[in-house]
Amino acid sequence: MRQLGLGLAVAAAGLAMALQTARADEELPIGVIAAQSGSFVSAGNTIVGAANLAAQQINDAGGIKVGDKTYKIKLYIRDNRTDVNVSIAAARELVNDIGVKAIWGTETHDFSVSMAKITGPAKVLQFSGNSSLGAVLDDKAVADDGWLHYAFQSEPQEWQRSGSTAKGVLSLLTPQLKSPPKHSVVFVGNDATGQYLSSHYVKALEAEGQKVDLVRYPPDTTDFSPLLTRIKGMKPDIVHFWYNGDSTLTAFPQALKLGVAPSYFLFGVDPGIYQERSLKADVPVTLSCVPVCWGSSPFPEVKQYFDKYFGLGAAKGPQSSVSLLYYDYFFWYAKALETVGKIDDPDAVVAELLKSDYKGVVSPVPLVFNKHHQVTFATEVCMVQPNTSDQFKCAVEQPPAAPPPGDNGG
Amino acid sequence: MPATDNSAGKMGAATEGTRASERLALLTADNASVPLPASVQAITAILLAALLIALPWLGLGYRFLSIAITTIYTAIGLYGLALQFGQAGIMSVGHAALMGIGAYTSAILSVQLGWGFWTTLPFAMAMSAIVGGVIGLPTLRVGGQHYIIITFCFCALFVIVLTNGGTFTGSATGLDVGSVTPLPGINFDKLSNNYYLVLAALFLALAATYLIGISRYGRTLRAIRENEQLARSVGINVDLHKLGVLMVSGLFAGLAGVLQLYYLRHISPTLFGAFPSLYLALMVMLGGARYLYGPLIGAIIVNFLPEVLNLDPVDSRIAYGVCLLLVILLLPGGVSAGIKNIYCAIAGGSEGQGGGSNGRA
Repeated sequence: MRQLGLGLAVAAAGLAMALQTARADEELPIGVIAAQSGSFVSAGNTIVGAANLAAQQINDAGGIKVGDKTYKIKLYIRDNRTDVNVSIAAARELVNDIGVKAIWGTETHDFSVSMAKITGPAKVLQFSGNSSLGAVLDDKAVADDGWLHYAFQSEPQEWQRSGSTAKGVLSLLTPQLKSPPKHSVVFVGNDATGQYLSSHYVKALEAEGQKVDLVRYPPDTTDFSPLLTRIKGMKPDIVHFWYNGDSTLTAFPQALKLGVAPSYFLFGVDPGIYQERSLKADVPVTLSCVPVCWGSSPFPEVKQYFDKYFGLGAAKGPQSSVSLLYYDYFFWYAKALETVGKIDDPDAVVAELLKSDYKGVVSPVPLVFNKHHQVTFATEVCMVQPNTSDQFKCAVEQPPAAPPPGDNGG
Repeated sequence: MPATDNSAGKMGAATEGTRASERLALLTADNASVPLPASVQAITAILLAALLIALPWLGLGYRFLSIAITTIYTAIGLYGLALQFGQAGIMSVGHAALMGIGAYTSAILSVQLGWGFWTTLPFAMAMSAIVGGVIGLPTLRVGGQHYIIITFCFCALFVIVLTNGGTFTGSATGLDVGSVTPLPGINFDKLSNNYYLVLAALFLALAATYLIGISRYGRTLRAIRENEQLARSVGINVDLHKLGVLMVSGLFAGLAGVLQLYYLRHISPTLFGAFPSLYLALMVMLGGARYLYGPLIGAIIVNFLPEVLNLDPVDSRIAYGVCLLLVILLLPGGVSAGIKNIYCAIAGGSEGQGGGSNGRA
């Protein structure tokens, strides 16, 4: 009888400990909305890849200690099918049905803006890597009662990225050309992101002393030869294929065949992709990544990151590096939660994010959110040696301190 | 004996085959003109209304409700397209652009003048109606595929104008608006209230479509659809009626566009391009343009099919293509025709001859 009693006591103690452990490891629901199908799938998949990696690393390291509790991240990933209506439905589901504390995504401006109108009133934090959010992130929008108070732009302001990129491109190409380049043509897709991005990049190039012509192509163009022939007639020193690496990978070989310019810049094309596709040009070509390259990074922590990222099965694509616009913010958010000591106080978390910094993978300089909830970091630009596919030289130029003349910021 | 047996067997098989083909013909026929009994129509309407009203209370979740809102405002736009195509025989593959006219009129008035939902709504609907009439002017000279091409071009042109419209149209980035102006005690930021707002608009669209369908005006439109020359010869002002129905269609599109705008609270040109327009044409053909519930059924199929079957966009397009082929081959009147035929087959042919107004639009 005594043995039975002892056994029951041990069992009860074990059960209590198990319950205690269960209580200690609570769940922190976080939503991810990204295009896992549809036309934006190559960018959308990177968000999911980054989220899975970050959540796994945080959970494996013991979770997030908030007060006397430990939280493990539980990801709720929703495919928006590159459809704004599905994005909205997914946001409603995550916010209202599941009750997530934060949402990562999406990959496009329109979707992110519509989503913010759901996450804002519900006080759910939203991390979106669209630099075009800068167009709406102003004093009023991010104020305590503003509709973007809980939204954060995890990509630098466009004038910063444009400035950093323009400096990097010119510093790498100038020594390769017979005379310093003076005339640039920016070739860009005519959609929301393309219009927004190119408006800043043109100013950044002009600030570097370039005469700039802007040529837009309709989205989904596959035959670029008429427009490229027109550009050739402009006799540019550099043609900048700006925005949308997928389109650039179609247009660039056509430009090489036509011999459009003595040098090129390919925005958003990773050296890894250039190498994998065995692209080759007899003129100097520069490439930039958003924000750092997976194919030729000089930074060991970036290389380690991409080894783990691809190790989880993520595809190597022109936009794989976009994942770094989302990864670091999981750790920063976790750090803010631990500092605040509560998971149900989004206002305190926002305040903490705005006053703290975080040294992540994406930048050797600690990340800091400015008053408009935007971060600052440099863009890596690499140059591939003529007639090679795998000989790269990379540079990281810091963004300018202020927007160039004619650029109103954002 | 064996020969006789075989003959009888063949005759039996032939008779069975004839019956089967008759049954198939009955199930696949487009008998939009055959009226359903008034009691059946009333019961269907009451059940449908009750289901739609009860939807937020069924605990289906916010995701479901969100897609339901999308479905309903799409259906409202489709009722306009069904009127011009199903009743007057004028097909368009640029209907999303008409919705865009309404949405952008409302958004521009909101951004430039600070007007709210209720104030901009009539202007947006009127603008869509006017533009619908203007685009309809070529129908006085051309028809069929030529008009379809014109509407397609209008759609493409509309997107180009919006994309290059500077701050006035918000360019490719688009425009933002606030919430629907609340009514006393009703805040439309609440999703269920937003749902009831679009549902009320759907009921209006249904009622208008039904009344047009049973009216003299509806009969006139159908006469034009069936034989334009004959209609003209009996004194019908065909040109006026064609423009009229396109303007009415524009009113529906404008209403749908404004509801879409205030649901998303952000619009951009891509929402109103050629692809969304083709989807609208697909929905109305799938559902059945000549049936009262056809547009709603078409919108439900296209919006909910990817959700129910978890289809990605590529699979969805394949599924839509297959559905469209099946509908064209087997159900020229759309899924609505199939549902009606099944009902008629179950209830017996006599019920199909019942009195009262019919089940078509």
